[in-house]
Amino acid sequence: MDNKYDLIMIRFGELSTKGKNKKEFISLLFDNLRNALKEYPSIYLERRYDHLYIHLGEAPLSEVVDIVKEIPGIHSISLVKRVDSDIDEIKESALSLIKGEKGSTFKVNCKRANKDFPIHSEEVIRSVAAVILKNTELKVDVHNPDILLSIEIRDEGTYIFFKTIPCLGGYPLGAGGKALMMLSGGIDSPVAAYLLMRKGVRVECVHFASPPYTSEGVLIKLEDILSQLSHYQSEIRLHIVPFTKIQECIYKNIPEPYCITEMRRCMYKISEKIARKRNCLVIASGESIGQVASQTLASMRTINEVTSYPIIRPVAVMDKEEIIKLAVRLGTYDISIRPYEDCCTIFAPKNPKTAPKLDEIKKYEEKLPLDELIDEAVQNTEVRVIK
Amino acid sequence: MKEIAKVIYFDNAASTKTSSENLSLFMETSANYYANPSSHHSLAYEASHKLSEARSDILKALNIKGSSVIFTSGATEANNLAIKGVAYKYASRGRHLITSAVEHPSVLEVFKELEKEGYEVTYLPVKEDCSVDIDSLKAAIRKDTILVSLIYVNNEVGSINPIPEIASLLKEYPKIVFHTDASQSVGKAEIDVSEADLVTISSHKIYGTKGSGALIKKNNISLSPLFNGGGQEEGLRSGTYDLPSAVVLSSAVKNAVKNVREYIKTLTPLKDALFTYLEANPALYHINSPKDCTPFIINFSLLTKKASVVVEALSREGIMVSTRSSCHEKSNDPSHVVMSMFNDEKLGSESIRVSFAPDNTLEEVNYFIETLDRIIKELY
Repeated sequence: MDNKYDLIMIRFGELSTKGKNKKEFISLLFDNLRNALKEYPSIYLERRYDHLYIHLGEAPLSEVVDIVKEIPGIHSISLVKRVDSDIDEIKESALSLIKGEKGSTFKVNCKRANKDFPIHSEEVIRSVAAVILKNTELKVDVHNPDILLSIEIRDEGTYIFFKTIPCLGGYPLGAGGKALMMLSGGIDSPVAAYLLMRKGVRVECVHFASPPYTSEGVLIKLEDILSQLSHYQSEIRLHIVPFTKIQECIYKNIPEPYCITEMRRCMYKISEKIARKRNCLVIASGESIGQVASQTLASMRTINEVTSYPIIRPVAVMDKEEIIKLAVRLGTYDISIRPYEDCCTIFAPKNPKTAPKLDEIKKYEEKLPLDELIDEAVQNTEVRVIK
Repeated sequence: MKEIAKVIYFDNAASTKTSSENLSLFMETSANYYANPSSHHSLAYEASHKLSEARSDILKALNIKGSSVIFTSGATEANNLAIKGVAYKYASRGRHLITSAVEHPSVLEVFKELEKEGYEVTYLPVKEDCSVDIDSLKAAIRKDTILVSLIYVNNEVGSINPIPEIASLLKEYPKIVFHTDASQSVGKAEIDVSEADLVTISSHKIYGTKGSGALIKKNNISLSPLFNGGGQEEGLRSGTYDLPSAVVLSSAVKNAVKNVREYIKTLTPLKDALFTYLEANPALYHINSPKDCTPFIINFSLLTKKASVVVEALSREGIMVSTRSSCHEKSNDPSHVVMSMFNDEKLGSESIRVSFAPDNTLEEVNYFIETLDRIIKELY
């Protein structure tokens, strides 16, 4: 009897509720998995109705588990042994496998998905438990066992496993359409981008560059951030919008407390144009309620007025500590805190409006040639693809 | 970034371009003397001979006697070895150390670390010309002082400390070891390090290669090593000898010392032109470098614009300069050097360092002045 686990069972979680889209989602997840594991030629993916299975071959288990844990759309995984659906074989394997587990008490669970299997699950549990009791020192504890032995009897065979490892959840990437993410280089926007990706939303990014007020170093920083996120989405398109002229126009002509409001309005106008061009269904931003003057609800409302495009703010209700914790886990935090100034910090006014009035800002902006400048900026936007 | 026809490189204090002579020397030495100098066969002996030659050439060029050369991975390691080496070795004599407030981070941070370990450190203030006052040094010396470490030419503002005077003063205190970080002074000023007990030098500041430097140590001084291993460099720096880097360092030092007068002669008109422009616009600039600074390093602060923005704008025009020093990896804090000189946060935060090499020209400086002037006026 071979005790090595060479199979990983993948459960879909949220996907199970998706009825007729399920097939499509599974195909997507199958492709994403295959792509993520392409470095391991010995791996073979098997598709079944309720689960996907990874046959490891020679691939190192722990590396593969680490990769699979970060793929959106997977609810949990287990290392499983597949045996023939034969009660003697099930008993023998269960006994042999449980000897490799640590603990002094156990419990057996059984799920009989294949109703053609002649023995009821209660009966399977009793006979497997009996074999274990007879041949080991282990005792039964149905309430708080050290070892939980699970048996799943399916059409293609019977699966025996112990632990279930929780994974990322969400939906497979691509299942949720595409968003245009506004990326400053700060801590929040990479986290927001990740949360979208986890929900299956493909992300393109837009960045507003104001050289020389912002440094070329910011772009290196953005590329580094995006390559951290490439675990979740292998190719990310970054639109770099030349924003200097707009910013200078705003700061020369609009009273300082209103500058940030107008800057953000222009950014949303530009984002909408790019989103339409790139077939992005929504615009997303890393704004978090109350974090800075332009992110109060009142500010958001005045800023948001420029567009009827749907805006998603994935970290809007999160606290800074929560966002930082996620950023650290994603590996983007240390990159985000590099000291380059971005277009939001360099001009930071001393007394920005926390409740900018819409009629005020409209009065200021109507005198300015912002629409022409915006068109020019969109036209001169540079695209980089980060892999 | 848009295409730049010509690059003007005024960031030589951060790092210089390796000279083609040194680059070929590196390749030749790598190709011809590849044996490990520690082995025992004729190829190894040849390599070992080359290494000894490099050591004695460095000592000769710097006019240092009774010392040995410990090759390191650069000035940071040499400074660490000097300061920690003395602090640990002579801890039983005393635990008081003296340095100045305007040292390079590879010195200051070591002292801060030692403070955590229970050492007492006096950070000497500097005068407005950024040099250490000898009387305040004298006043700081105690019975339990074991080390004085002072920079020779300051890496941010180009000021020159009176190292020979300090060295002869400290001769009266035989229990005090005197270290000077001379990385930015070799080839930038006419220096005398003959009386210092420990001297740090660096290769890439004088047209050599990155990742190479040395600590020069008087024979009567003992040090505690930073790391252990095969016992190379008198047990003070284990690790296979890097002969090509050592040979290049020696050639770089020889050239720098030989040509320093000529270099100063060449660069003084460049410094004068820049000073004249800056002085003529006192509403826009504050000159941080003292008048008698080395012509290699000129530091000034912007009074009306942000230094980081101006540096970026200059870079887009093909002119490379730094804000403060480039040795601070992740820091937006004001320059501790400028702060120590003038105690003004604005000056400290908005400083720009222009640093020359001998092949820079007056024409380049004039173009720089013209561009800077335009940028300052154009920027919001």
